[in-house]
Amino acid sequence: MTPSPAVMIEARGVEKWYPNGFHALRGVDLSVEQGEVVVIMGPSGSGKSTFLRTFNGLEDFQKGSITVDGITLSDDLRHIDAIRREVGMVFQQFNLFPHLTVLDNLTLAPVLVRKLAKAEVQRRALELLERVGIAEQAHKYPGQLSGGQQQRVAIARSLCMEPRIMLFDEPTSALDPEMVLEVLEVMQGLARDGMTMVVVTHEVRFARQVADRVVLMDDGEVVEMAPPERFFSNPQHPRSRQFLSQIS
Amino acid sequence: MDAVPPLRLRPGAWQRLRRGLFASRVDGLISIVLIGFLLAAALGLAKWALFQAQWAVISANSTLFAVGRYPLEQQWRLWLLTTLLALATGLSWGLLRAFPRSGPPVTLWPRNDRWAVAILVVLAIWRPMALQLALPIQMRWWAITGLLLLARWAAGRWGQAIPQVSRRLVPLIWPLLYLVGMVLISGGLGLVQVAPSEWGGLLLTLLMSSFAILLCFPLGVLLALGRRSELPLLRWGSVLYIEFIRGAPLITLLFLGQNILGFLLPGGMAPDRVWRAAWVLTFFAAAYVAEAVRSGLSAVPAGQLEAARSLGLPLPLALIHVVLPQALRVALPATVGQFITLLQDTTLLSLIGLLDLLGTARTVMANPEFLGKNAEVYLVLAVLFWCCCAALGLGSRALEIRLNPQAQPSR
Repeated sequence: MTPSPAVMIEARGVEKWYPNGFHALRGVDLSVEQGEVVVIMGPSGSGKSTFLRTFNGLEDFQKGSITVDGITLSDDLRHIDAIRREVGMVFQQFNLFPHLTVLDNLTLAPVLVRKLAKAEVQRRALELLERVGIAEQAHKYPGQLSGGQQQRVAIARSLCMEPRIMLFDEPTSALDPEMVLEVLEVMQGLARDGMTMVVVTHEVRFARQVADRVVLMDDGEVVEMAPPERFFSNPQHPRSRQFLSQIS
Repeated sequence: MDAVPPLRLRPGAWQRLRRGLFASRVDGLISIVLIGFLLAAALGLAKWALFQAQWAVISANSTLFAVGRYPLEQQWRLWLLTTLLALATGLSWGLLRAFPRSGPPVTLWPRNDRWAVAILVVLAIWRPMALQLALPIQMRWWAITGLLLLARWAAGRWGQAIPQVSRRLVPLIWPLLYLVGMVLISGGLGLVQVAPSEWGGLLLTLLMSSFAILLCFPLGVLLALGRRSELPLLRWGSVLYIEFIRGAPLITLLFLGQNILGFLLPGGMAPDRVWRAAWVLTFFAAAYVAEAVRSGLSAVPAGQLEAARSLGLPLPLALIHVVLPQALRVALPATVGQFITLLQDTTLLSLIGLLDLLGTARTVMANPEFLGKNAEVYLVLAVLFWCCCAALGLGSRALEIRLNPQAQPSR
């Protein structure tokens, strides 16, 4: 028997109330192993983005516990920054820094946070841009790129910190249809290279082809968790069946 | 020699003028009436300025307007400061032209610059003559202007040869020059002390406003950040401060400052009257700058801070490198608007007995020798203030263009 791979994310009984009293997460459990790709699906308002954002402390929670890469999330800011160094995040709206060139977007955090030499970081940044297919845009500003290019820069920016985990929050939802594929291909390549990934998305094809497990969330709860082939062909829960009939 | 484009009206200018002013009969009538009014007013002003006004009140008191009662034998220090300022201006100007942030390749004298040079030269020759200054003093102005243009030319010509490391230090000459200027004006370090009560006129006005502008800006940024902080004490402290200051007229605060600082601080510790006023101006303007900066902060999407934080940047670094550069660019026009207001608000100093430009003017007009020359004095004051404010506005506009990396299509 092979030794079981390390657990990268361990969430237990996570509950969150928004200040207005809305109960956004109602005791969510999830455990992600190293190298695993977990896709979280669910109707809007189901709490999937909120849940994802608790992993790197962008959202707080009131009950339960989350351990990321062996570090337990707490109010201690040093812990949060330690986790954020190891966890990359890609947003729906890209959130590139518009006042910096593409290259500077990539090198900002490694230089400031990891205290690496700028020349070295720039070399790695150019390699990463090559890998996501936009090396020739390195000296442009984000506003001069298309949405798909911007999202690929955002992925490269996260990778430049050499994270051990990547979180994707609906990375293709703000893109024009013809640009979705170029971003999904980059993500697929990442998964192939063994990156641990948690992806909130509506892309069924990506979930089918790349995910190790699919999680369906509804109303702040995990409704169903299964490998993609079983999830899409033979969903167990009536709410899964309802959701799948709505998106296909 | 580079080809100078011939100066001519663009084709269609006349048609556009006609369409703009005389599109219909009613339009034409309105245009004619308004142009008539404007012409009459301009003619009246010119007739008064050239034939009736007696400018002796200005030329006889030009030193008083410039520096107040600053001791004559120490005025060389101000000349030295002016010379240094001219050199620094020329140097910075030339370097800005040698390294355009974007746009067409470098030309030594772009068209705007040729206009600026022409205006400078005309002012340097005509102004001292009109003021009937002594010939040596006139020659000093020519020399200073010449130095400015020389520095501008040299920096533009050879600026690119300066190694990058030392070029980065160039902006530092401005704060350094400010400190040097403070020493030159007030004395110390072997120079004779000149008490603030002897400063006056344009010198005092510019000193007060530059002091307040330089200090109220960082203070305003901190207050704006405080107002958006998640720490309740910091947030409510900032809100209380900003709303208290904005709720009180400046003149009240100035009087309050003159009286209250004496009670608050043990004897002798309270700064001089002039400095008390400078601090009140600073604290007053900071509250307004804070609101301008806050509007800039609101314009930066929340995702920017989230992206920076999720890359592992601690909050201060995220603010300095990601949020503030974007926020301050948005807030720049409103902030400079505050600076201009601040500059004009220094005239209130005359009401608490300081001899700024307006205070000096009032003493001059009270002099029986120049009784009834109010119009001449006020007109000159207006023009002086207009020049200072226009310079601030032009500077802000140039900065805005320079800080804009490119025309960013908004998402």
